[in-house]
Amino acid sequence: MPAMEAVVVEGIRRVFTPRKREPVTALDSVSLTIPVGEVHGLLGPNGAGKTTLVKILSTVLLPTEGRALVCGHDVVTETKAVRPLIGIVFGGERGLYTRLSARQNLEYWGALYRLSGPQIKERTAMLLDRVGLTDRADQRVEEFSRGMKQRLHLARGLMGDARVLFLDEPTTGMDPLAAREFRKLVGDLQDEGRTILLTTHDMVEAETVCDRVSLIDRGRILATETPRSLGSLISRFQRIDIEDAPDALLAQLKLVAGVSSVSPQADGSIRIEVNEDGATALVLRHLVDAGITSVKTSLPSLEEVYVQMIGERGLVV
Amino acid sequence: MVWYALVSGANDYWAIWSAKSWVFGLQLRIFSQVSFFALIGKLLRSDEQAHFFLVGNAVMVAAMGATFAMNMTTAERANGTLSLLLASPTRPVVVFASRGLYVTADGILNGLLGLFIAGPLFGLHLPWPRILLVVPLTLLVGISAYCFSTFLAGVIIRQREITGLVVNATIVTLMTLCGVNVPVSFYPTWLAWISRCLPITNGLEAIRDVINGGSWSAVAAHTGAELLVASLWLTLALGTFGRFMRAGQRDGSLEYAS
Repeated sequence: MPAMEAVVVEGIRRVFTPRKREPVTALDSVSLTIPVGEVHGLLGPNGAGKTTLVKILSTVLLPTEGRALVCGHDVVTETKAVRPLIGIVFGGERGLYTRLSARQNLEYWGALYRLSGPQIKERTAMLLDRVGLTDRADQRVEEFSRGMKQRLHLARGLMGDARVLFLDEPTTGMDPLAAREFRKLVGDLQDEGRTILLTTHDMVEAETVCDRVSLIDRGRILATETPRSLGSLISRFQRIDIEDAPDALLAQLKLVAGVSSVSPQADGSIRIEVNEDGATALVLRHLVDAGITSVKTSLPSLEEVYVQMIGERGLVV
Repeated sequence: MVWYALVSGANDYWAIWSAKSWVFGLQLRIFSQVSFFALIGKLLRSDEQAHFFLVGNAVMVAAMGATFAMNMTTAERANGTLSLLLASPTRPVVVFASRGLYVTADGILNGLLGLFIAGPLFGLHLPWPRILLVVPLTLLVGISAYCFSTFLAGVIIRQREITGLVVNATIVTLMTLCGVNVPVSFYPTWLAWISRCLPITNGLEAIRDVINGGSWSAVAAHTGAELLVASLWLTLALGTFGRFMRAGQRDGSLEYAS
């Protein structure tokens, strides 16, 4: 029976021991389950442990403790079973043979995934078309733009018809348009039933393409939720925006229990932020009593959740 | 897999060389190298010395191509493709061995061209039809050197900054010890034994026997010894690559390219 979970991570710990330096714990008791067909985001700052986890799942790195399964196969003891099932795509300029053409790169990787000659030709043509590189198929990769290289990276990761794709910061350095196209491709891959683990520190990306997001920092998973639910986690940090209000009312609102700030915004509106459950209702009652009905409440974006949980440090890229 | 790796390597190669630069650049260099040593023999007023140097250096050219393959292997790491290769279903040593084969093939072709063009110009008699045997024997020397080179690549793959140094040191060492310019019999016994464990030495003696009319049994014995040496280095190459990959998985030195 096929595994229902594409990825299972149980208590993974990874400690690096550099020479003449203190050991560094990159992952600490990480547990995670990703069902088949899910796009799962791993969101965290640089050094959070995202790539370390992907390396372990893709059999390139051994965990110090714990166990991980991909499509039911142990990534340490069953590497031969795992490797044909996975595809790896990472951002940046490297990972391709730049003196070869796009077609030659894909054909070579097809051979590495043990496809037959006709299969290699067929999949190469299909994937080049899919990532929009058919017209550039025979051009050397060194002449490609960054976005084109990234699309070729994705095609390469798909040559083996991977069931689980690890996308390690795949849109790094892409222009917004190329990144949007790339995200659309990710959606298409999900529609085919593939499971995708996407590491990123781009909140918009995580919010746009992921079914669930795990926030990771200093080797620990802080929360795993849908992007929307993660916002709810700190719903007590809800914001209330009003167009205008008398100064007396604003002074009064500052004294309401749970109101953390009342501040004017650049567009002339006023934002009231709360940091306690139930404070929103109190503020709304004050506003209605004062005859102010043009009120907008909103949940924080994933970016704000990220900042709240990880801190401003997480925004340093 | 081997075919595609060979083709991709060859495509890589022809991205560097054009037909014109290959003929008037590379081949001219090969011809100059072989002729240079043959001319030293001529300076010594000895055809025998000239032919000894010429044959030795032509075969050395074949082995040099294989030695340069070391650069390619460590380049995979610099390229960011090493971790991807490890995570693919094919064994990395097969990939490396296959991808560098074209350099070896190129070296063998260059060595044979050097021998067959420069040889007659320096009065070297190429006995027909036994000279044909030189082709597979040069192939064997090239492959043997390639096994040795792959072994060294596995040893130094973690220190890619010294690759150039190791390639040059290897070429000079092989040229010195393997009977290319100095007969192995010149060395003390212990050094001669080391020489016989290196690629080229035995195969080169077989080639000299073929050209100089040596006995078939001597040719066969030297050929067998070269085969044995190639197998030894191939086994060690498999071992070093396996060791490197396992160590990389343990200590995290197989980095992703990002």
